[in-house]
Amino acid sequence: MTPEELREIDQDIAVHGARAGDFVRLGDTDLVVRVESDDRQIGNELQIGFGKNARDGMGMRSVRSDESCDVVITNVLVIDAIQGIRVTSIGIRNGRISAIGRSGNPDTMDDIDVIVGSGTVIIPGEGLIATAGGIDSHVHAMSPRVCDAALSSGVTTLIAQEFGPFWGVGVGSPWALQHGHNSFAAWPLNVGILGRAAGSTTAPLFEALEGGVCGFKIHEDTGAHPRTLDTTLTFADEHDIAIALHTDGLNEMMNVDDTIDVIAGRAVHAYHVEGCGGGHAPDVLRMAGHDNILASSTNPTLAYGVNAADEHIAMIISAHGMNPELPSDVEIARRRVRNATMAAENRLHDMGVIPVTSSDALGMGRADDTWRKTFAMASMFADSAILDGSVAADEVITSNERVLRHVAKITINPALVHGLAHEVGALKVGLLADIILWSYKSFASKPNMVIKGGIPAWGVVGDPGATVANAQPLIIGPQFGAFGVAPADLGVHFTNNASTTSVAGRRSVPVQNTRTIRGRDMLYHGVLGDVQVDPTGNTVTFNGEIVTSEPQSRSSLTRTYLL
Amino acid sequence: MELTPSEQDRLLIFTAAQLAQSRRDRGLKLNHPEAVALICHAVIEAARDGVTHAQALAIGQTAVRSDELLPGVASMLFGVAVEAVFDDGRRLVVVDFPDSDADVPGQVTRLQPTPAPESTEVVAVDVHNDSSVQISVTTHMHFFEVNPRLRFDREQAYGRHLHIPAGEHVDFPSGSTVTVNLVPITGERVIIGFAGLVDGPLDAPGAKEQAMAKAKALGYLDGGAS
Repeated sequence: MTPEELREIDQDIAVHGARAGDFVRLGDTDLVVRVESDDRQIGNELQIGFGKNARDGMGMRSVRSDESCDVVITNVLVIDAIQGIRVTSIGIRNGRISAIGRSGNPDTMDDIDVIVGSGTVIIPGEGLIATAGGIDSHVHAMSPRVCDAALSSGVTTLIAQEFGPFWGVGVGSPWALQHGHNSFAAWPLNVGILGRAAGSTTAPLFEALEGGVCGFKIHEDTGAHPRTLDTTLTFADEHDIAIALHTDGLNEMMNVDDTIDVIAGRAVHAYHVEGCGGGHAPDVLRMAGHDNILASSTNPTLAYGVNAADEHIAMIISAHGMNPELPSDVEIARRRVRNATMAAENRLHDMGVIPVTSSDALGMGRADDTWRKTFAMASMFADSAILDGSVAADEVITSNERVLRHVAKITINPALVHGLAHEVGALKVGLLADIILWSYKSFASKPNMVIKGGIPAWGVVGDPGATVANAQPLIIGPQFGAFGVAPADLGVHFTNNASTTSVAGRRSVPVQNTRTIRGRDMLYHGVLGDVQVDPTGNTVTFNGEIVTSEPQSRSSLTRTYLL
Repeated sequence: MELTPSEQDRLLIFTAAQLAQSRRDRGLKLNHPEAVALICHAVIEAARDGVTHAQALAIGQTAVRSDELLPGVASMLFGVAVEAVFDDGRRLVVVDFPDSDADVPGQVTRLQPTPAPESTEVVAVDVHNDSSVQISVTTHMHFFEVNPRLRFDREQAYGRHLHIPAGEHVDFPSGSTVTVNLVPITGERVIIGFAGLVDGPLDAPGAKEQAMAKAKALGYLDGGAS
């Protein structure tokens, strides 16, 4: 190409962002995606600003919002497990996605899907990436600030297990639950609380159900016994609620195969399936690859790093009420930490065997690290795209499928596992407009804007006394959707059909379809097979083949971005 | 001290810059937040020293060197905006780091130029500006209804807009004649608003004649045959 053509291309990218066929590198990773399509018509691209075309009678139709939309995000690069990787516009009405496609005024532009009206809020998406809000299905809300951390990382839905600062692993008391729901309504987040399944009878489960839990947590710290497991799963089948499971890490009453037998084909969410976070030692990873066991990872073992094992022993002792002075505590903590299962876990993610990533926030994971670690892990396995022109555009090896697989792990798949997919998890017409906008350069590391129920609720804000909104120091913090009574209204309380609990100002939504969900339903995943961990914990196989990966000395999305 | 929120924010910059400086002093390469903090700090302190806006900008641009940055950071230092207190008041300074490196986080690569807008049914029209000031017209303006002081064949421009990339414009300096290409307005071809000359479907029977008559009555200059 001539220098003139190269200059024109740079200018066009600066104004319009990526177009169909362009290659976009995500942050500082080795992940390069190719834009599959672009809904814009060249020459009729909608743009807001001085001298631009989103004006009365041009790109903007003089109609009310109910004939157009409340908000439009224009010409943004969508990365979504359902939409794929494409440039399009997203229309929002009454807090939900109302239309996806070409935006503008049908009076003057062809094939408009998203009608922009005189009163439509226009959020320019050119040069930005839009994903669905992250869903963190494993959160210990040991501190209210965990909500700030989650929002600051692009997470808009939490499945919480307590509202600390006490170790709960589920909450049983309806009185306590009511206060938890009331408190969470202060954040522009969707929150469901897991009840504690520590009883061998159903009476404690019933009261938590009426108290508005969205599911239950079975945890070895409160008893992951065969009776507890069976009672809870039977109860779950009766009430359509999800069950999260942290198995018997001591093998005190069962080995991993016994646990799988007690589950007996019923749907269950297997937390931190690698095992550092807890569960049958050394072989809880064996639970991955089963159709009824929806497995997830927590973020400290992701993007398997050279220091991963070393940080975990102290972490286990600190998180689980153990004492470093007690040799037996140190010994059982040590048994949970195995390099081989971490190395295998990362590979099983890339293969599509483990469908979900989560944090384990304040309980052995980082609330604001799941997007970052999920994509740093994806980058571990990426082939570098050759973009010097020596390879024809259509033959460049890109990471589109790998990127969609990894975005599914933190959006649609946890939504499906926890029965939230009728409200959140994807950029789909009808779902809540929980949308994260990222710059290309900081994708998955630091969000630019967190849109909750259609309203900017969190994101980059600058010097409040400046002439412009982007003056340093830029920090990631609350936007208007996080103030007044807006947060209660913008977020959802995820609950169950038998709940008798309501939350002032907040909509309560029962979870759905939690009992029929299977591994095969997981988008970009569903690879089933036999995972074996040898008794030493030093070798992992999948269908007889060794699965492993190399520890990373340098993780993507990290050093470049974090102070 | 009676510090305002903006002044407290400057302390965040100062703290981050001190941290970054101590890391630089240890010989570490700087990442994005570290480099931004040092640039902002340099601008703020230059302003405090009493320099001009231009001098502070130059100091900001040289606050960090390419060889002090981690790979990829140079390209992220575009449009670093900071407000500093100059002797004549607070002023916005926007620093673009002048250098680049081959490692570009978020890089977009396009292997072929984007095709130009499709250009069927283009008409060329000579436009003379009779006004005493420059007039600029943007892409999606209904060209028929532009400033009455532009003299051109209005009938030719009926139902058309400029054939240039979206969001750009054409300047018509006072007293000059500029030739522009116009293409048909697309979609349902309904023009609502503007100067109210059409205010309805462009292709309705009699709509064009009515609009022409209205334009003439209102004194829109017309260089057309009629």
